[in-house]
Amino acid sequence: MLTTLLRPTAGTARVAGLDVARQAAQVRHAIGVALQEAGLDDLQTGRELLTLQARLYGVQPRDLAARVQQLLRVVDLEDAADRAIKTYSGGMQRRLDLAAALVHRPKVVFLDEPTTGLDPISREAIWRYVRELNQNEGVTFFLTTQYLEEADRLADDVAIMDAGCIVAQGSPAALKASIGNDRVTVALDGSDAELDRAAAVIRRLEGVGDTRTVADTLIVYVPDGAAAVARIVLMLNEAGMRAREVSVAQPTLDDVFLRATGHHLEEDHAVPQPVGGRKP
Amino acid sequence: MTRLIADTWWLTLRALRETIRQPVFEITNIFIPMFFFAVTVGAIGNVAGRAFGVENYTAFQMPVAILQAAAGAAGASGLGMTTDIERGYFDKLLLTPTPRLSLVLGRLAADGIRVTVLTAAIVLVGIIAGSGMESGPLGIVVLLFMSGLFGLTYACIGVAIALKTGSAQAAQTGFLLFFPLLFLSPAFAPKEIFAGWLEFLATINPVTYVLEGMRGLVLDGWDAGSLAAAFGAIAGLGAFTGGLVALALRSRTA
Repeated sequence: MLTTLLRPTAGTARVAGLDVARQAAQVRHAIGVALQEAGLDDLQTGRELLTLQARLYGVQPRDLAARVQQLLRVVDLEDAADRAIKTYSGGMQRRLDLAAALVHRPKVVFLDEPTTGLDPISREAIWRYVRELNQNEGVTFFLTTQYLEEADRLADDVAIMDAGCIVAQGSPAALKASIGNDRVTVALDGSDAELDRAAAVIRRLEGVGDTRTVADTLIVYVPDGAAAVARIVLMLNEAGMRAREVSVAQPTLDDVFLRATGHHLEEDHAVPQPVGGRKP
Repeated sequence: MTRLIADTWWLTLRALRETIRQPVFEITNIFIPMFFFAVTVGAIGNVAGRAFGVENYTAFQMPVAILQAAAGAAGASGLGMTTDIERGYFDKLLLTPTPRLSLVLGRLAADGIRVTVLTAAIVLVGIIAGSGMESGPLGIVVLLFMSGLFGLTYACIGVAIALKTGSAQAAQTGFLLFFPLLFLSPAFAPKEIFAGWLEFLATINPVTYVLEGMRGLVLDGWDAGSLAAAFGAIAGLGAFTGGLVALALRSRTA
């Protein structure tokens, strides 16, 4: 809807200061969009696709070739520029798609799960382009992702959505600080009842903020994780239970997500969608 | 307006590039009508004069081959459109500020050009095979133009189905529709010898007038009446199929 592909049935929204319903044409000039599935044409070459895209966006003919070449360089596709797109790997197609979203120097770029299904090297490359474009050209990125690490690495402002509503919003640092505690993960063998009993035991420990059960592990939030580990192991032993594995970590956006939505992202791909933004 | 024309032009070039890079489709589009052309003339050509007074059956059949090629090539147009929709490329184009109309006009113009080229090939073969061309070189130009225009209007059916459904299978039915239209026209014999009911159906079938207009150019020379009827039939068909595209485009775009 924000990209003008769908018409809003009610309410208003503004992108780059423009109303998406009443100023759709201007909005299209101001934004670039790379959707989850790279929307490309197999039979054109990368250069042809970018050139056509630039023409349709009204890039001046005298700037056209240089702009296309520059974008091919930015996304490291200069060598493959004159090959048919059907010969590109998944990562190359995503990079080309990103370049296509940038031809007209948009102020805001929408990226829908830009790295889903990509190998770590391609993912790292996309992250690098996003960061560079943000810093060097002042492009604002609006990205949706299932990867909380991606939101953490890229975004200045993160909104966590659950069932269509924003349930938490802020900078990654602020969101993580809002957890306020370290995370201790305790893996136990045993039934659900056993896990519940272990949780009850651990909650008796001073300073324990919150506990959650995910599969066969307990997640415990405490102010000083390192100090709590020994006590937790001891308390469980006294209660006749044995932890298989115990670890301490700083809180991540995963923890923020878990607290805000009550479920793990991996368990429930369907509903939650963290939304990250990167401002100039 | 300049935007519309310029963007339509760039999108036409892109659609033509698509054609050139998949030559196998056009080979099929030309092979099938050529095959029927040869077989029909071979089977009926010798008796056509005695049976229903058509001395030059090659000339009589050439426009049938042209219309078949036109409809075949135009039917493939919807297929290209569904590929764009399925691949998400159509959304990518919709996201640009280009006029929505350019997105379909570009493809349709390319279809008109493809059909014109295929027609030229058939005319060349027909003339070599002895069809002659009563209306002369200018007649060939008019014939090519008529055929291209017919292809463009016919392509609208596949494009409309593609825009509405996004389904490749559905878009191909656009071509299947052509067979009843062709067989309910005087494709193999003059309609004067048809049974009454068939003659009636042929009379209300717009393809009949396009076919007779083309035949006139090949067999009889210049006849304003039959040319006007042919272009009138194409315009009527175009108004209908063009309307379908406009409706389908509205349902597809925000």
